[in-house]
Amino acid sequence: MSVSRISALGAIALSGALALSACASENNGAQPGTGSTGAGGASSAAGDCFSGDLKAEGSSAQKNAIDEAIKAYQTACADANIDYQPTGSGAGIKQFIAKQVDFAGSDSALKTVPKDGKIEAQDAKAACGSDAWNLPMVTGPIAIAYNVKGVDKLVLNAEVAAKIFDGKITAWNDPAIAALNKGVTLPSTPIKVFFRSDESGTTENFTKYLKAAAPDAWSYETGKKWTGKGEGKEKSAGVATATKNQDGGITYVELSYAQQNQLPMAQIDTGSGPVALTAESAGKTIATAKQTGTGNDLALKIDYATKEAGAYPIVLVTYEVVCSKYADAATGKKVKSFLKTFSSDEVQKGLEAKGYAPLPTEVATKVKTAVDAIS
Amino acid sequence: MSTATDRRAPDDRAVPGDPSTPPGGRPGRDALSEMSNPHRARMIKDVVARIVMWGAFALAMVPLVWILGTVVGKGFHMLTTATWWTGNQRNINSDDFGGGARHAIEGTLQMVGFTALIAVPIGILTAVYLVEYGRGRLAKAISFTVDILSGVPSIVAALFIYAVWVTTFGLGRSGFAASLALVLLMIPVIVRSTEEMLKLVPNELREAAYALGVPKWVTVVKVVLRTAFSGIVTGVLLGIARVMGETAPLLILAPYTKNFQRDLFNGNFPTLPMMINQDRGDFALATAAERMWGAALTLIILVLLLNLIGRVIAHYGSVKK
Repeated sequence: MSVSRISALGAIALSGALALSACASENNGAQPGTGSTGAGGASSAAGDCFSGDLKAEGSSAQKNAIDEAIKAYQTACADANIDYQPTGSGAGIKQFIAKQVDFAGSDSALKTVPKDGKIEAQDAKAACGSDAWNLPMVTGPIAIAYNVKGVDKLVLNAEVAAKIFDGKITAWNDPAIAALNKGVTLPSTPIKVFFRSDESGTTENFTKYLKAAAPDAWSYETGKKWTGKGEGKEKSAGVATATKNQDGGITYVELSYAQQNQLPMAQIDTGSGPVALTAESAGKTIATAKQTGTGNDLALKIDYATKEAGAYPIVLVTYEVVCSKYADAATGKKVKSFLKTFSSDEVQKGLEAKGYAPLPTEVATKVKTAVDAIS
Repeated sequence: MSTATDRRAPDDRAVPGDPSTPPGGRPGRDALSEMSNPHRARMIKDVVARIVMWGAFALAMVPLVWILGTVVGKGFHMLTTATWWTGNQRNINSDDFGGGARHAIEGTLQMVGFTALIAVPIGILTAVYLVEYGRGRLAKAISFTVDILSGVPSIVAALFIYAVWVTTFGLGRSGFAASLALVLLMIPVIVRSTEEMLKLVPNELREAAYALGVPKWVTVVKVVLRTAFSGIVTGVLLGIARVMGETAPLLILAPYTKNFQRDLFNGNFPTLPMMINQDRGDFALATAAERMWGAALTLIILVLLLNLIGRVIAHYGSVKK
């Protein structure tokens, strides 16, 4: 008898103990933020903290930026839990339309033309029960990062870049490259192109740039999937690491990843002289962008073929896709409160250290107005 | 007669190939080598078989040792940091050092425990039905279905639950939804292993019980299940080990959170595989990479601990002979 009792206890323990052990302690968010770098403090959030959960999903390009904003907000508001899943722009919008997340992050604004029989903007509107807005929040410059022994400074223009990424220029000492880089000794190393094998907003914006600035040299369609030549690697970390380990390698990658891997970045000659990639030069391009949305919908059209002096043309804008009026007023308050912090000057300034460019003042003002209008 | 037998006997013994009595009474060299040939061939076969066997064993151990070595080597120092077993990842960004894994450890245990709570009774009862009661078409259909279910990839199970839970019913993703997908993966493992264990129970035991006038259900509960107990526990552990590191259902159904979260039914849910996945995205950063290895080692340790607990239960719960 005692044996069977032990075994019965054991059987219960096996499955039950697992579940019970999880209820051991209960102190949500009591742990202080350690090693705070970049944007901390964020006094702007202290006023209207929410308590509870806020869920967001989407672009991986803005992950490091929104992580900083979340950290800033959560540091000020101990009862707020904000989760961001960096699963990609497409996934973020899908989950937003399926009402699985409170707002989405996307590297392109909601599409207003049909794609696969669906119009994203309309579906989002239906899911919200009100207009859905695209709020530009993060600008991530895309670097053309390379690894060639002995070449610390490299100038490219759109046409040469398009030919390189299309496999038409195959060696580093090609006359087309040499013409742009007078006085630089280029080796005969073969060029090895690395591209993003996953669907990516970075790819989309980079191909948009190539298409806009070098329509003759880049014949492919633009899109999240890479259509040029080269070898595929997964995610930004993948292409950056591959380039770092390959002499003669070249790739397009967000500035932050190029910096992390200490890869040199090509300067872009837009027609008015070579422009190095800095937060300032990228911001200049954003400032020239035209607003295509109406009212508080701030969808932008970036002029990738810009010839403005000192403007770095390959940039990526990540939007937060939000409902203008949330069905649940409490959710609206949470989104508004968090985005207020995200768009605040302190947080935006802190993003520079993470390889992003802060929003140009004009755009930032509009974003702040729009955020205030969320309900 | 006896002399005849005696005379014949040495003849009988002098079988060709018997070295003790060579034919003609002279130990010929040719004969000797001829005789030892099959012996030598056997020796060679034995040595070859041994080498192949040990080689295969060593080959099988290579990935195991390699994985364990890598994970322990790269992840162990994380486990010794002050906050690993107590804290969570709140406000720990990918380039920040350390943080804790407690939220994910608790989440994984809670989710797997909940999964086991649903899957173990269903699995064991199904196996009992199939072995003890089921005859005819229904039993065959169930058995066939379990076979199919055991071949379903985890991603398909996850998408099925997503289609039902989110698309059809319009409910939110949650730890519970992921648990449901894990149940689908766990049931066939438990049914199959329990079935095998129940089949191993000698029929004489059942017959002896019936002979004493014991009803069938009591026989099943007190004789059959008791006898197969340790085997069933092993099967359950295999099932738990199978689902504990499962990532696809979590990716689709249970978004990760860096905070403590104990509500399995609402909102995002922290788990170790998702923590590993999160940090894998920033592998280039040393801080994220070492956290990933730490979480991987923690997951291995959890599975190992559960196995040990199960062994102990099986040991003390098994029928004493």
